Amino acid sequence: MPFAGIDIGSTMTKVILVDQEEKILASIIGPTGAEHRHLALKVMEEALQKAGLTLEEFDFIVATGYGRISVPFADKQITEITCHARGIRSLFPTARIIIDIGGQDSKGIKLDGDGKVANFVMNDKCAAGTGRFLEVIAETLGIKLDQLGDISLKAETFVKISNTCTVFAEHEVTSRLSEGASISEIVAGLHESIAGRIVNMVRQLGIEKDVVITGGGAKNIGLVRAIENKVGFLALVPPEPLLTGALGAALIGHDFVRRGLRPDHERRRDGVTFFQ
Amino acid sequence: MNEDSKYYAGVDIGSVSIKAALVNGRRLMAYELVASGGSYRAAAQKVLDSVLAQAGLNPERLSGIVVTGLGNESLPFPARQISDISCQAMGCHYLFPSARTVIDIGGQFTKAAKITPQGRIADFLMSEKCAAGSGRFLQVIARILQVKLEDIGPLSLQSQKPVEFSTNCAVFAESETVSRIAEGARAEDILAGVHRAMAAKVAMLVKRVKMEPDVVLTGGGGEDAGLVKAVGDALGVKILVPELPRLSAAYGAACLAEIGQGTLNN
Repeated sequence: MPFAGIDIGSTMTKVILVDQEEKILASIIGPTGAEHRHLALKVMEEALQKAGLTLEEFDFIVATGYGRISVPFADKQITEITCHARGIRSLFPTARIIIDIGGQDSKGIKLDGDGKVANFVMNDKCAAGTGRFLEVIAETLGIKLDQLGDISLKAETFVKISNTCTVFAEHEVTSRLSEGASISEIVAGLHESIAGRIVNMVRQLGIEKDVVITGGGAKNIGLVRAIENKVGFLALVPPEPLLTGALGAALIGHDFVRRGLRPDHERRRDGVTFFQ
Repeated sequence: MNEDSKYYAGVDIGSVSIKAALVNGRRLMAYELVASGGSYRAAAQKVLDSVLAQAGLNPERLSGIVVTGLGNESLPFPARQISDISCQAMGCHYLFPSARTVIDIGGQFTKAAKITPQGRIADFLMSEKCAAGSGRFLQVIARILQVKLEDIGPLSLQSQKPVEFSTNCAVFAESETVSRIAEGARAEDILAGVHRAMAAKVAMLVKRVKMEPDVVLTGGGGEDAGLVKAVGDALGVKILVPELPRLSAAYGAACLAEIGQGTLNN
């Protein structure tokens, strides 16, 4: 019998379905809209269809992410810190530090020898050091977000961006462009700046091998390289870095069932009909 | 030529606008304000020419110029230079002799200064790291709401129920604004919410210089009645605002030229 994990982030909603052997049956990533509840159901239905399953067949459904309370059909809501840690423990048992770079926040999570959360730090107060910083600047430069990584790797040096604040950095980037700096050097400079901010934050936890980078930021090879340069060794990146929270959520559902917890199917159905 | 017929000019080069003031015996004889545009040099010459023309003076009748603000190294005329905060302090001192704290909310930076009864700087802080609490924050939100800058203040004052922002970050507030609009929030309530968020940030800066009344608010922020009220509420004091809030540093620069301050730059 399968398990589902659903992770509603500020930018993306992720769903993963796993079987009894914790093998992935289906996964879906879609944008989080303003209407979390309808979207959660839509993305879930899409995943169910892909796996040829119905909601009733699931042994356990766990929701996570900042929109987790908007998933009425979930059996449990668990924080994303716990879910990320659980997902990473199954993918990389040697991981001690997780750096998660999301659309609207960035986090550092320290794991103990058993893969449990020992400590964490988070920035959700300021757009600098989050995906939003790169999103805003990519728009200013007229570049797609997923091209930033490759573009920055072409640079042999980087243009120092001295403003931390996204709003001021946007201005600075325009000035550097008008002074003739190349886009690749500017993008490399932006990665340098955001990596510095993130690594400084995570240093509070004490950086240890292995470091895993997750979230949308992990899909940016330029940013990953800049972080690796700062920590002084190579980092691990999951094959689909957006899905680790959802994976952890699904696995936690399995853990619950192993401990004898059973879902309330009636409550689950009510949750679905309420928002249909 | 006697002292009475001597004229002095102050030129203030800001990131958004360039201002000039012409004084005679501390009286403001003429002023001009233009957008900074691509060339500070050309704009500085333009404002200076304009105040001279308004007063019907030839350039040689000018007994001294003090320039302040950004980029004052590339001026087309000889001038002494003095830091903008010193000019601001002196301008506010002459306009409001009771002033002890000056808050300047400009297009990009917010500054707070404690000043002596003689108009000298006693303490000074500037926020340059973060757009929250700067004029840029308001510009960003006003653009989404499609509200003209001059309408922000009057609109905000109509608010009955200011929106509570969960963030101080200008970038996050931008997306929050979009969500609030989708939820049906009114423009005046959003603006009043932004004013409160900004005022909280400004108040932190002002408290760190150990604010003393009277408090004067200058810069473009002084033209925004909603912001002035929010800053007053956040600090729990009445705020004094010059008649021309963006001109006070240029006026102070001209007054400092008159008393022979500053070092010659070229």
